[in-house]
Order: sequence, then C-alpha cells, then structure tokens
Amino acid sequence: MELFNNLILGFGVAITPINLLYAFIGVLLGTLIGVLPGVGPVATIAMLLPITFNLNPVSALIMLAGIYYGAQYGGSTTAILVNIPGESSSVVTCLDGYQMARQGRAGPALAIAAIGSFFAGCVATLLIAVAAPPLAEIALKFGPSEYFSLMVFGLIAATVLARGSLIKAIAMVVFGLLLGIIGTDVNSGVLRFTFGIPELSDGIGFVVVAVGMFGTAEIIANLDLKDKREVFLSKVTHLYPTKEDLKRSWASILRGTALGSCLGILPGGGALLASFGAYTLEKKVSSHPEQFGKGAIEGVAGPESANNAGAQTSFIPMLTLGIPGNAVMALMIGALMIQGIAPGPQVMNEKPQLFWGLIASMWVGNLMLVVLNLPMIGMWVKLLTVPYRYLYPSILVFMAIGVFSLSNNPFDVLIMAVFGVLGYVCVKLECEPAPMILGFILGPLMEENLRRAMLLSRGDPFVFFQKPISLGFMVASAILLVIVALPTIRKKRDEAFVEESK
Amino acid sequence: MRIKNPKDFWAGLMFIGTGVFFAVFAYANYQMGTAVRMGPAYFPFLLGGLLAFLGLLVFLEGFAFEGEKLVLPFNIVDLVIAIAIFAVLLELAPRIGLSPDWGMLAASLVVSVLTVLYRPNAKALVLISVACLVYGYSMKPLGLVGATAALVFISAYGGHEFKWKEVAILFVILILFSYFVFVKGLTLPFPMWPAAWS
Repeated sequence: MELFNNLILGFGVAITPINLLYAFIGVLLGTLIGVLPGVGPVATIAMLLPITFNLNPVSALIMLAGIYYGAQYGGSTTAILVNIPGESSSVVTCLDGYQMARQGRAGPALAIAAIGSFFAGCVATLLIAVAAPPLAEIALKFGPSEYFSLMVFGLIAATVLARGSLIKAIAMVVFGLLLGIIGTDVNSGVLRFTFGIPELSDGIGFVVVAVGMFGTAEIIANLDLKDKREVFLSKVTHLYPTKEDLKRSWASILRGTALGSCLGILPGGGALLASFGAYTLEKKVSSHPEQFGKGAIEGVAGPESANNAGAQTSFIPMLTLGIPGNAVMALMIGALMIQGIAPGPQVMNEKPQLFWGLIASMWVGNLMLVVLNLPMIGMWVKLLTVPYRYLYPSILVFMAIGVFSLSNNPFDVLIMAVFGVLGYVCVKLECEPAPMILGFILGPLMEENLRRAMLLSRGDPFVFFQKPISLGFMVASAILLVIVALPTIRKKRDEAFVEESK
Repeated sequence: MRIKNPKDFWAGLMFIGTGVFFAVFAYANYQMGTAVRMGPAYFPFLLGGLLAFLGLLVFLEGFAFEGEKLVLPFNIVDLVIAIAIFAVLLELAPRIGLSPDWGMLAASLVVSVLTVLYRPNAKALVLISVACLVYGYSMKPLGLVGATAALVFISAYGGHEFKWKEVAILFVILILFSYFVFVKGLTLPFPMWPAAWS
C-alpha cells in the first residue's frame, strides 16, 4: 500500500492553501493561453520561468504543470465555439467540434470535451503514480553508458516524431548540444566558446534561450501574418449531452485516454501527437466514418481525452529519468535546475513531497479546470475579441522584465533578442526549434556521461554496445532511424503532418 | 546546378558554417585529450564535425528536391550591415567618453530607422528585437518607467496598426502592473525613474 501512502503524502502537499493557489493560477493561465491563439504553453512557461525563481520548487512546478494541461482544456473551447484552435493540439477538435456548434450542439460538445479531458486526466495521473516508481527504480541502476545511450535514444525519438525534415531536426539537436557546451568546462575549468565575455562563463541561460526561441520569435512570426480574426459566436444553449451522446462517446473517451497515455510517454510525444493519433483512430474504428468532419461527437471526445492524457503522461520520462520528451518538459527540467534540483530518478526518493505533490496537484488541477471551464465559457470567448496589438506588447513586457531580472544584466536581454532573430530565421528555414532546446538542455549531461563511460571503459567506444540496457537503447534508436528513412513510412508521416498544418 | 529548395540550401549553409566554426575553434584553442581522458575540445570537435556533415546533407538536398521559395524580409547584406552598425557604435561609444550601453542604444535606433525607411517588411522582426534590447540597456539610465515606455512604443510601432492614444493607455496599464507585481510584489530591485532625476 505504498502507493496509497504516497498519494496521501502528495495530496497533503497539493491541498495546502499556497499550492492550491498556485495550481489555480497555473490552470487559469493555462486556460487563458489555451483560448488565445498565438500564445502557446511553451512561450508562457518560458516567460514565467524567471519568476519561479522566487517560489518554492513544489509550488513552481505545480503552477507550470497547470499551464500545460490547462492549455489543452482552453484550446478546445475556442476550437468548438469559433473554429479557432487556441493550441496546436486542438486543431483536430475544430473539425467536428465546430460542426457540432453550427448545428446548435456547442453545449454537448464542450461538455464531452470537458468530461473526456477530466477522465483522461484522472487516469493519466494514476498511471504516473503507478508507473513512475518502478521506472525510477530501474533508472537508478543506470551507469554513465546507459545514460548516454538513453539520451541518444530520447533525442533521436524526439526528432523522429517532430514534423519536417529528419536531418534538419537532428542537425538542430546537435546545434543545441553545441550551444549547451558554451561556458566553463566542469572537468578542466577551461572557459569554452566564451570569447572573453564574462557573462558567458556560466553558459547561456536556458531561460534566455527558451524565451527568445519560443517567445519573441513567435511574436515576430505572428506579426508577419496579418491578424484579421473574425469571431462568429455560436450561442451555447443547453450544456448537457444527451443519453445518445454519452453512449456514442464513452468508448471514444476510453480509447483516446489509452492512446494518449501511451503516446505521451514516448519521447517527442505529448498532447499534440496524441490528439492527431486519436482522431485518426476514431475515424478508423467508427461504424459511420462518413459523419466525421460533419459533427461526429466521437471526433471531439477521442482527441480531447487523448491530448489531456498525453500532456500528463509526458511527465513520466521527465520525472523518472530526467529526460525531456518535448519542449515543455525541457522547460520543466529548466525550472528544476533553477531551483538547484538535479533532475533524474533520485528526485522521487530525495524529494517525495515535490514528486507526489506534483502528481496529486494534477488531479486537483483537473477538477479546477472542469469548474473553471464550463460555467465561464462566455468570459473566455470574450477574450478572443481582444486584438493581438494589445497582447503582444504586454507579453514582451513580461518576457523582458523576467529575463532582465535573472541577473539584472542587459546582456541577458541582448541574448534573448539574438535568439529571437535566430528562432525566426529557423522557422523560415523550416528548422524546428523544439529539438534544439532538448539538445541544449541535455548537452552538458551528455558530455559528462560520455566522458565517464569512456573513462570506465578505458577508451573503448564499444562499451555502449556491450551492456544490455545500453545496447537496447542504441538498437532502438537505429531501428527508429531506419523506419523513418523508409520511403513509405516517410510519406505517411508527411501526410500526417500536412493535416496538422492546415 | 540550380538551387531547387532555397530553404534547405540556406539551412545547410548555416549548419555547415556553425559546425565548422565550433570544430575548428575547439581544435585550435582547447586540448583534445584522448578517448579515455577527453579534453575540453573533444566533445565540441565531434559535435561540430557531425553538424557540418548533417549540414552538408541538407545543403545537397537543396539541389535534389523541389521546395518552396524562401521569403525573408531581409537579405544577407542587410544582416551584415546591421551587425556592422552595432560593432562600430559599440566601439565608438567608449572613445567619446560614453558607456557601451549608449552605443548599443544608438545602434538600435539607427538600425530601427533604417529598417522603417528601407525594409518595411522587416519592421516586425527588427522593431520587436530592438524593443527588447532597448528595454534592457535603458533600464539603468532611464529606470523602469522609461524602459517600459520604450519597449511598449517601439514594439507597438512594429505591428500593423499604431494609434498613439491606445498605446499610451496600454503603457499606463503595463507600467502599473509591472510596478505592483514585480517591484512591490516580487520586490525586484528596479529603479523606477531615470538615474539623472535622483
């Protein structure tokens, strides 16, 4: 009954007033940015990272986690009501959700999305609680060679599942790894690539890079498109789904939850992949696929459950292995590092309050989201009418003040601006910034583990292929690369991402 | 040879350049060490080489497969000019007895004006980046109020619509928010008013 005791410990932490407050702030902010198109969870979390410096670690993580899964709820609201996906993971919800709204069934669509998300959130939370301890147990036995291979696998998998060219994604990872090396070398004390600039001796700040690559770059890219949003509101009359709706969607919710949970754990996975996978699955298993795209409730229930489940289970590799599966998790690791906590399997044993408190808070947060979302839909939709020209200067103020406050040094703001331009250019060249940020955060760790492994093996590079676990990761990485390079799979993958970018 | 996909072409060049730079710089300045005891140059040298190789693949792909046109609001010459303006003014400022911070602010101003006049399509890119820069470098001389004003007005000017009244109201709201949340609430040590006033 250790699980039970752990959960009690977790809830003890999560329902203290201060943590309830931060969970509330997190899910509120998450819903807010979920509703607003053009402001994503990555940019928001990056923006808030500097502020978390002043919080205690548990509250900080609870708030940041709330933003991520909260955004999945908020994104669906606008997708259904006004056909604008607030988040990329709710793009598929537009297909059937908006059609339902046009048929005057916005209420049931919203309700099913909320019920599905809540159910998926509960299951995923439980899954984290059950799966994380044994995984962390195994990970504790990892030596440097296993860790190095695991990181290789994690980075490869993340690039395989990213959109666009595979080689470019891997190149971006390597680019990130190189940027992570800038600063003082821990082994020799040599300053590397600092060019005599004293501010660089501690390396480029993670927060600064993240805010620049995702925050400023996103704003510039948004301004490049002319923002002409027109909001046609459909009235929400009755909220409760009919018996028929429930009967049709309960299986979809189950399937979405299961698929989302699995896809969330994979490196590179998370909410986005989960929602697309679930929509395709629902369309395949449905007995009336012709209704999809014309207001089939399964097309709302499946993806909405899946994106919430995926958002939450993507915490598993981050919490147990210290390996980020997607950009949001890389930011979470950044948040842990800011607090002086080294991410990895030891976190669970050394900081049980943090670990179980975070898990319990997800359940609390999901409950808050249902309460926040359903009765307050009108207010959220009103927000959509706020023009972007008021929003982006405000976002910039928060980003600049946060980055400046890191060390009260304008140099950080300069680096942020430079990475903003770099991020913009990368997007234009179709190089995804997300793999870069994963590489950036893993760079120093990878070098450290490579050095140790090579030292232990007396310089024999085959050590990575001799230990069974390490070999397993290496073989899995190779298989992944080969599979994606196969022409047929490549075509399928491209098709899947084409649907996404519509 | 015709460039079929300019995006791959330029991305490849970018990766090759970065990779070669890191590898050569590491090799020339730091110790390589051996595989058993890796020196500080070992890992960056490996990664730099790998990046250059991947860049080469992307670069060659640019000649092999057809792709969309690359639309950037500036060209490579503009980029060089902008960097040169910053370099010159940063070098110049200390020689006439000003701190490099003023050089940074002056360069930001020059680049912004040039952009608005000659590269209107790059307005968003340059003005948003410059707004952040100016915020950071004017915090000490102008205080939070001055820096926030600069950030809000410059960035708003980088958008599609600019109405003085609206932006002024937005500025007042944001400075009040910054004051109460960051200075009062989180007790961040920012000066409120220009340094010359106190």
